[in-house]
Amino acid sequence: MAGTGPRLPIVGGVAEPQPAPAKEYRFSEQAVAELNEIVSHYPEKKAAMLPALWIAQREYGGVLTPQALQEVADRLGRSYAEVEGVATFYSMYNFQRRGRHHLEVCTCLTCGAANAYAVVHKLEERLGIGLGEVTPDGEFSLGEVECLNWCEAATVVQVGDRYYGYVSPENVDALLQELKKDEDHTPQAQADTIVRLHLRGRTSAETNAPNSGDAE
Amino acid sequence: MPERLVLLKYRDVPGMDDIAVYEKHGGYEALRKAVAMERQSVIDEVKTSGLRGRGGAGFPTWIKWNGIPKDTKQPHYVLCNADEGEPGTFKDRELMLRLPHMVVEGIIIGAYATLSRQGYIYIRGEFTEPARSIRRAIDQAYARGYLGRNILGVSGFDFDLDIHMGAGSYECGEETALMSSLMGERGQPRLKMPHAPLPVIEGVWRSPTLINNVETYATVPHIILNGGAWYASMGTERSKGTKVMSVSGHVKRPGNYEIEMGTPLMELIELAGGVTGGELKAVIPGGSSVPILPAAKCPGVTLDYEGCQAAGTMLGSGGFMVFNDRTDIVLLMRRTAEFYAHESCGKCTPCREGTRWMLKIFDRIVSGGGQPSDIDLLVDICNQMDGRSFCPLGDAAAWPIRASIKEFRNEYEYWIEHKASPVGPDCVPPVPKRLNPILPKLSRTW
Repeated sequence: MAGTGPRLPIVGGVAEPQPAPAKEYRFSEQAVAELNEIVSHYPEKKAAMLPALWIAQREYGGVLTPQALQEVADRLGRSYAEVEGVATFYSMYNFQRRGRHHLEVCTCLTCGAANAYAVVHKLEERLGIGLGEVTPDGEFSLGEVECLNWCEAATVVQVGDRYYGYVSPENVDALLQELKKDEDHTPQAQADTIVRLHLRGRTSAETNAPNSGDAE
Repeated sequence: MPERLVLLKYRDVPGMDDIAVYEKHGGYEALRKAVAMERQSVIDEVKTSGLRGRGGAGFPTWIKWNGIPKDTKQPHYVLCNADEGEPGTFKDRELMLRLPHMVVEGIIIGAYATLSRQGYIYIRGEFTEPARSIRRAIDQAYARGYLGRNILGVSGFDFDLDIHMGAGSYECGEETALMSSLMGERGQPRLKMPHAPLPVIEGVWRSPTLINNVETYATVPHIILNGGAWYASMGTERSKGTKVMSVSGHVKRPGNYEIEMGTPLMELIELAGGVTGGELKAVIPGGSSVPILPAAKCPGVTLDYEGCQAAGTMLGSGGFMVFNDRTDIVLLMRRTAEFYAHESCGKCTPCREGTRWMLKIFDRIVSGGGQPSDIDLLVDICNQMDGRSFCPLGDAAAWPIRASIKEFRNEYEYWIEHKASPVGPDCVPPVPKRLNPILPKLSRTW
C-alpha cells in the first residue's frame, strides 16, 4: 500500500457518504431581507442568482467560498453544482482572496495602445507582485481586465466600484497613496454597492456620487 | 459637417441627471404625448423615423416593437441592454451617467407601446457609477408617477422597472445571452431564428420580450416629441437620424461625438481634433468586432450603415478607434484575439477553440517563432469560425483578424521574417512580456 495518510473508507469502489459539514449560514438579517426584496422583482426565484451571489460575496468578506455557494444554493432552492456553474462563468466573482484594493488595469485596444502595459509594469514594480497576486500585507492585488468602456480616459484602472481614468506611469504613485487612505473601494464595498443598486427607493444624497475623477 | 446634437444636446447642462432639471428641458413630455396616443401610433411613429438598433446590428427598431403580440395572454417584458462591453465604445456609459432620465423615459414609452408591465435594465457589473445615476432616475420617476400603477393617470398602464447588474462577461451583451444571465444562468446564447422564435415571441421566461440598446431607447423620446418624419429628415436614405460615436485612440480630443448619419469619416477625426503622435495609419470604426480600415481607404467613407459596408467594414456600436503610424497592427490584432479568447463563452467549438488557436498563433509570431504558413493558417481558422459559431461572437473574432491580414499582410510577413515589429521597438501596443495569460483563471486558493 502506498502512502500512509488518512484514507477514505472505500466500499465497493465508492466513497462512503460522509456526514455533511455543519451548516453555518452567514447572511445577516438585513441580507436576507435584501434577497427577499430582489427575488420579488422576478417571476421566479432563480433569476435572483446573480444578485444573491453579490450578496454572498459581500457577506463572506469579498470571496465566494464553497460555504457561500452552498448558502446561495440553499436560499434559492438550487443545487450547489448549478450555483457553482453560474458563478464561475462571470469574471467579477472572486474565488480567491483579493487585496483590500484590487487594482484592475484595462489593457484592451485603446488602453493598450495608450500606455496600459507601462502602468501594469510600474504597478508590478511598486507593489512587488505580479498579475493575479496579493501583496503580503493584503493591501493590494493586481489584475488585468478587458475593456472597461471608458476609452476616452485611457488608461483606465478599476478599483472596486470605482474607475480611475487617465492613469499613467507618472501618476501611479499618487494613485497608490490615495488608495492607502481609502476605505470605500474594497471588494466587499463593491459587492455592497452592486447589491444596493437592485433595491428600489433607497436613493439618498450619498448614492449620487460624483463622476470618476482623474488619478491625479 | 459639425456635430448634430439630439441625444447629447443637454449633456453639459448641470444636473440633467435630476428629474426637476430634466423636466425643465422638456423631460417626460414625450411620455405624456405617447400615452395620449394609440399604442399602434407610437409604433408607427418609430417606424416613420427609420430608427435602427444602436447596439451594433442596426436592426429596424419598429419591427421589434411591432412584433410583440397585441394581446396579453402572456406577460410581456421590456429589457434594456446596458451591458456595454464592445472595446472602444463608451456612449451608453455617458448616456446613463449624464442623461439617465432620457433612457428611462424611452423604456417607459416602449413599455406603453408593447403592453409590458415589467422591465429590466441589464447593466454590466463594472458600471456602478452609471448604474447609480439610473437608480436615482428610476426612484425619482416612481416618486413623480412616471413608473408604478396607472402611470400619468392612464388606467391600467402599470409598469415596474428594475436594475439587474451583470458580473463581468462580454458575451452577456448578446441579447439571448443577456436573457440567460437575467434568468440566473451562465451568460450563454440561446437558439435564434430560424431555429427558434424571435425574442419578441419567445424571449425571457419564454414570454414576448422587447430588447433594445440604451442609445436606441434614449432616441425614442425625441422621435415621439418631434415626430418620426423630423428624425427621418436627418441622415441618409437608409440610415436615418444621428449616431453617437465614441472616438478614442490617437486623437487630440477623445470623447463622444453625435453626428448625423452619413458624415464623412475624416470629418469625425477632425471633430476630435485630428490624429496625434504621427500620421493616420488605421481606423476601427465600430468597435473591436468590425474589420479595420487602412488610412488609404478612409477618405470617401461615410459613417452610416451602408457607407461603412461599402468600404468593407461596419458601423457597429460606434466605437471609433483611431491609430497612428506607431501602431503595430499584428500586436493590435494579437490583443484583439486575446480579448475574444478570454470572452468566448465556451458553448460552441468553432469559437471556443478557434479563438484560442488564433491567440496561440499570434503569440508564436510575436515571440519570434512565426512560420510563413501561419498567415494562411490564421485566415483558414477565421474562415472556419465565420458563420459556423453559435452566436456572432465567433464571427466578430474572425472578421477583424481576416481584414487585418488582407490590408496589412506585409506587416505579418515582416514579423515572421525579421522577428520584430515593422514599426520599431517603440511600437504600440508594446510587445508583451508575458504571453498567453488568459487561461489559468479558475485557480482557487480557498
